[in-house]
Amino acid sequence: MALQAGASRYHLGFLWWILEPLLWVAVFYVVFEIILKSERADFLVFLMCGKLAFIWFSKAVTQASNSIVANRGLIAKVDIPKSLFPMAVVQESLYRQFVVFALLFCSLWVAGYGVSMAWFWLVPLLLVNYLMIVACALVGACLVCVIRDFSMVIPLGMTFLLFTSGIFWDVRDLANPELTSLVLAVNPVAFILDAYRQILMYQSAPDALHLILIGFGSMLIAVFMFHLMRRTSQYLAYKALTA
Amino acid sequence: MSKAARDVMLELVDVCHVYPSSKSTFDHGQHRVLDKVSFVLYRGETLGLLGRNGAGKTTTLQLMAGILAPTSGKIWRGPGCTASLLSIGLGFRPDLSGRDNALLSAMLQGASRKLARSFLPEIKEFSELGDSFEEPVKTYSTGMRARLGFTTALKTHVDILLIDEVLSVGDASFRAKAETAMRERIGGEQTVVFVSHSPRQVEALCDRAIWIEAGQVSAEGNVQEVLATYTSGTV
Repeated sequence: MALQAGASRYHLGFLWWILEPLLWVAVFYVVFEIILKSERADFLVFLMCGKLAFIWFSKAVTQASNSIVANRGLIAKVDIPKSLFPMAVVQESLYRQFVVFALLFCSLWVAGYGVSMAWFWLVPLLLVNYLMIVACALVGACLVCVIRDFSMVIPLGMTFLLFTSGIFWDVRDLANPELTSLVLAVNPVAFILDAYRQILMYQSAPDALHLILIGFGSMLIAVFMFHLMRRTSQYLAYKALTA
Repeated sequence: MSKAARDVMLELVDVCHVYPSSKSTFDHGQHRVLDKVSFVLYRGETLGLLGRNGAGKTTTLQLMAGILAPTSGKIWRGPGCTASLLSIGLGFRPDLSGRDNALLSAMLQGASRKLARSFLPEIKEFSELGDSFEEPVKTYSTGMRARLGFTTALKTHVDILLIDEVLSVGDASFRAKAETAMRERIGGEQTVVFVSHSPRQVEALCDRAIWIEAGQVSAEGNVQEVLATYTSGTV
């Protein structure tokens, strides 16, 4: 549904789609490159690959988590599938992310990173990334709807992921290689961000099996959540309206 | 009266509904909104639902529309029968134009995009919004919102129409027009449940009335009789 008119609220409108992620990148750049003097020569590109993909995940999931509760006016009046609200947020963020990624790919190209066959890996990677967002958005929306207190915890969790997913540090630079594989295995966000970098910066393919596993797991969770939310539609409405 | 011969569209049997009464404590404080409410809705009739604020009228409608499930008791719905709540400003998005909001509302009530689009000229004309129809809803006055909301809801078609206080807003001339339009729809085969504080409106529009007081059915039956007990009981 065409709900993107929200952009008209701000003076710069659609420009904020690109501006906000870029400002985030700028903030991190100032802190880690200018103040803390990162060792990497390619830090800006490295940072952009990680941060721009991470913002997609964190913003979509955080917004989607509050979406059922935010729409309780509508829920009080129509019996509609409750998964619609988080999905609307996820879809909206997907459109926004197309613009952001287009910008990212253009700047990589300008910075001299060649386009190679490895870029085809972006297609499955984007799909898995999307599935992961859908799964987390649905789970988050249900949790916040049933127990409102989760809306305090989720932003905190996002900050935790921000620090642990290797956005401004390289997972592969860790002193202990076992720790590297542990981080990549435990934290799917870290794996996804690393995969973007492997493809975009080093033209190499990510671990296909690992990618499939994350995609399959996310899909399973998403399907289960859709089913659960259909079954408990009236309970969710009750919770959204009263709690 | 030949009511016994009519089809039952919807039936509530001993319906109870409970809301938690406080959210900040961990006790099991409960507020019983509806307590063993039972009544029947027949095909083609207009049923008036009377009651004071907080008596449980809106909850009853939400239960009938299937938005909420009753805590206990049963709601029987005729096979394949849809019930829809007609209410003002169905999730209006203030940043979108009146046209887009009307489209969205109609789609949320179950119309396809194409069907919803075909309602738009009619909605624009009936609501008398003119050029404001293309403006964002945030620029509308309360009365204009009410016009848009009422008109949009009026144009959608459902088996059971549940109306919650919609006629109590708007200026006098629009209200008169809205009532006439309502009566036209009610006159047909439409089954309607109509919630109001106003005895006058219930008298003008309804075939039968139910008075809900403190979560229980206080009076039921002929409009005149129920209204007589209602007005004597509340004044």
